[in-house]
Amino acid sequence: MVFMLCKIIDKMGLLCSRQKHSRADFEDNEQTAEIDRRIEQESKAEKHIQKLLLLGAGDSGKSTIFKQIKLLFQSGFDEVELKNYIPVIHANVYQTIKILHDGSKELSQSLADSSMFIISDENKQIGEKLSEIGGSLNYPCLTKELAQEIETLWRDNAIQETYSHGNELQVPDCTHYFMENLQRLSDADYVPTKEDVLNARVRTTGVVEIQFSPVGENKKSGEVYRLFDVGGQKNERRKWIHLFEGVSAVIFCAAISEYDQTLFEDDNKNRMMETKELFEWVLKQPCFEKTSFMLFLNKFDLFEKKVPSVPLNVCEWFKDYQPVSTGKQETENAYEFVKKKFEEVYFQNTAPDRVDRVFKIYRTSALDQKLVKKTFKLVDETLRRRNLFEAGLL
Amino acid sequence: MATCAVEGGCPSDYVAISISILSMILLLAKAIKPYLVHNIPRPQGRSFWLIALQLFASFNLILSTVMALGLLRTNMMHWWNNCYLWSVWIEGPLGFGLLLGCRILQAFQLYNLFVKRRLPPIRSFLFLTLILFPWLASATFIHVEKPLDNRCHMGSLWIIPIMCLHALYVVAMVGFTGAIRHIEFRFQELKDLWRGILFSTFCVGLWVVCYILNMAYEDIELIQIISRFLLLVMTSLLALSFFSISISQPLVTLTSLREREHPPSAMMGRALGLLPDSGLLVEWDSIQLVNPIEPLDKLLLNKRFRQSFMEFADSCLAGESVHFFEEVQQLDKIPSADHVRRIYMARHIIDNYITPGATMEVNISHRCRQEILSTLDLAHPNLFKNSLNELIHLMKTNLANDYWSSTFYMKLKEEARMRVVERELEHSGWNFSHRMSSIHCADDPFHHEHSPGKFGSSSCHLELMQ
Repeated sequence: MVFMLCKIIDKMGLLCSRQKHSRADFEDNEQTAEIDRRIEQESKAEKHIQKLLLLGAGDSGKSTIFKQIKLLFQSGFDEVELKNYIPVIHANVYQTIKILHDGSKELSQSLADSSMFIISDENKQIGEKLSEIGGSLNYPCLTKELAQEIETLWRDNAIQETYSHGNELQVPDCTHYFMENLQRLSDADYVPTKEDVLNARVRTTGVVEIQFSPVGENKKSGEVYRLFDVGGQKNERRKWIHLFEGVSAVIFCAAISEYDQTLFEDDNKNRMMETKELFEWVLKQPCFEKTSFMLFLNKFDLFEKKVPSVPLNVCEWFKDYQPVSTGKQETENAYEFVKKKFEEVYFQNTAPDRVDRVFKIYRTSALDQKLVKKTFKLVDETLRRRNLFEAGLL
Repeated sequence: MATCAVEGGCPSDYVAISISILSMILLLAKAIKPYLVHNIPRPQGRSFWLIALQLFASFNLILSTVMALGLLRTNMMHWWNNCYLWSVWIEGPLGFGLLLGCRILQAFQLYNLFVKRRLPPIRSFLFLTLILFPWLASATFIHVEKPLDNRCHMGSLWIIPIMCLHALYVVAMVGFTGAIRHIEFRFQELKDLWRGILFSTFCVGLWVVCYILNMAYEDIELIQIISRFLLLVMTSLLALSFFSISISQPLVTLTSLREREHPPSAMMGRALGLLPDSGLLVEWDSIQLVNPIEPLDKLLLNKRFRQSFMEFADSCLAGESVHFFEEVQQLDKIPSADHVRRIYMARHIIDNYITPGATMEVNISHRCRQEILSTLDLAHPNLFKNSLNELIHLMKTNLANDYWSSTFYMKLKEEARMRVVERELEHSGWNFSHRMSSIHCADDPFHHEHSPGKFGSSSCHLELMQ
């Protein structure tokens, strides 16, 4: 302790003690120089690292993209990490079945044509039991018997009917996937697959970061990115501001399939409207004057399925949409319409002095590994080109 | 003498005006002082507007009295010397009505919180507008009927209904206060309130007498001069006394002044006489038992673990869930029979963690939030159960795994190891005696004054942390 104090005072240019060994002094100097060199090196390296932010409303697929990055450009998930996802996946199952069960009850009370939401008598007891489990603090292990019961309830017509009204409840997107794989999930030696992990729904809170380089194998790129993932619900957004300094690119996720759903944190607000307002807010941030914007129109796979049955104009923002054709062409039309709307928002909220920032729109579905890989290669290319361009100018 | 009674500007008038100016300055000083002297952050939202509105109303009331009664010798022909402007609009809706409206609003809020045990069913702004409506209506009516003479006096036909309106609001306030009288308040708000009401009813009574005298006996000059002198002085005193009644701002006066060194989240618990944790013995035993296999909600009951976990969560900007957990834990420590303290704590938690846009708002579903905000019983033991449940799941799925591989957990483990070594060194001859005495001081947190002295609490705390 005393020695350290001496060192500090010594550094300040005061003579601390005369009997100090000059050799020790020398070693000390050597050490501090080494530390200084390291710090310098690191800060140099820091400069090369590009900061990427994943922003977007809740449940827009930010964390799924984040997981994909981990899978694609990092070591991926080892067995321990995969197994860490078991409780998450099981929690997803229990919570989903509870939401569906309670939702069917609610719908049967509120809607006029309620008979189809009434669970058959033989499944009622199972439903009550599962609902109770879903509301408890610690979930039991998903045994074969429990999985069987959940599956029975899932197959119940009332539950299926409720599921088709899922946009009014907060049913997670992974519902169908997990419900169809219940038997596998309940295996005693179950290890989640990559797909399971990608499908697992976890509400992110706070900030998570990861560092990666898109071209892992041949190291040609050399570009290093640090990607930040954040929570998207309203309460989480107050934390974003801490990350806004020095961002190279914002990856804004917008789940385009959610045009008929309401927010998790506010049942009275359409998710698409919220996304629009949020996008406007982010675009106006003074910190992002020179920041590139990568807009991911996410969940295209779900969008594709939804468009034929739910018209796009249920959402206030897309009120003026008129379906022109059917089938695949219609999906394309709808997608182009949404894309145009987002483009409009971008240009309306980009002041003339900021026009030189990069803006790109990508069609993604975060679950599709190949697509995400391709998209990221494109993002990487755009950003590198942008850097070269800036370097050339300077 | 003969003219000054009619035109104003008698010596007594100037005395009255100086008294009213003095009281206005005092009023302002009183309102601003805590924020300037003690550097308390400016109150936000509702509480700030209520204070500002009251100041505004008091100012209007005094000024309108001066102008309407003609205390100053001014040219009556000026457009701004309009009787209806001063003695009807500014004195009525913007002065007396607004002032009492704010007070009634506060009493109404307390009534809802502590008697009905629910959050006020109507937004404060809306309530205030509603309460001001009769004033606005009658002011419009007078304005249309034009009963005032050129000295801004009205006939006795008008005085009675107008005085009734004034009295009605005083009665309403006394009524609401009466409804909450049986509650034993934590911060002595009620005592203050009663004192204020007693004094202000006295003032109002005198004020009414003066007003009637002033209006009715226009011919007797002495009565004119004396009554308007008294009127202005009473108005000033009324405004001053009204503002001094501290109501629903107990945190400013009691806690933030004395316990500023603590983080704001811990303040409410302290103010209510709860120490953050007094389970010292449990802590010693359990520190080595931190085991990732145990469910998180059990682990979080351990104070040392919770601290470490909170530090971790704060470091990744996700701390509000853990803070919420801790505060709900404190709420659970309050016996369920102690409604008042439970309501205070519940309201504090709602204001800080639940309302949309709150500073520490937690990530819970719409349903949970609505369930709490529309509760019919703020003292209900399971008020926060569902949201806590959701948040524990959130922490489990989102934070826990990262925590186990973080340096915060490493540190905790290291600490636990050191403890074990220490204990082994001391063999079995562990002497608890001096620790016992330290526990004793925290053992009975409820006997502490609600604002434990700075030294008392911190020294106690130090020993606990040792």
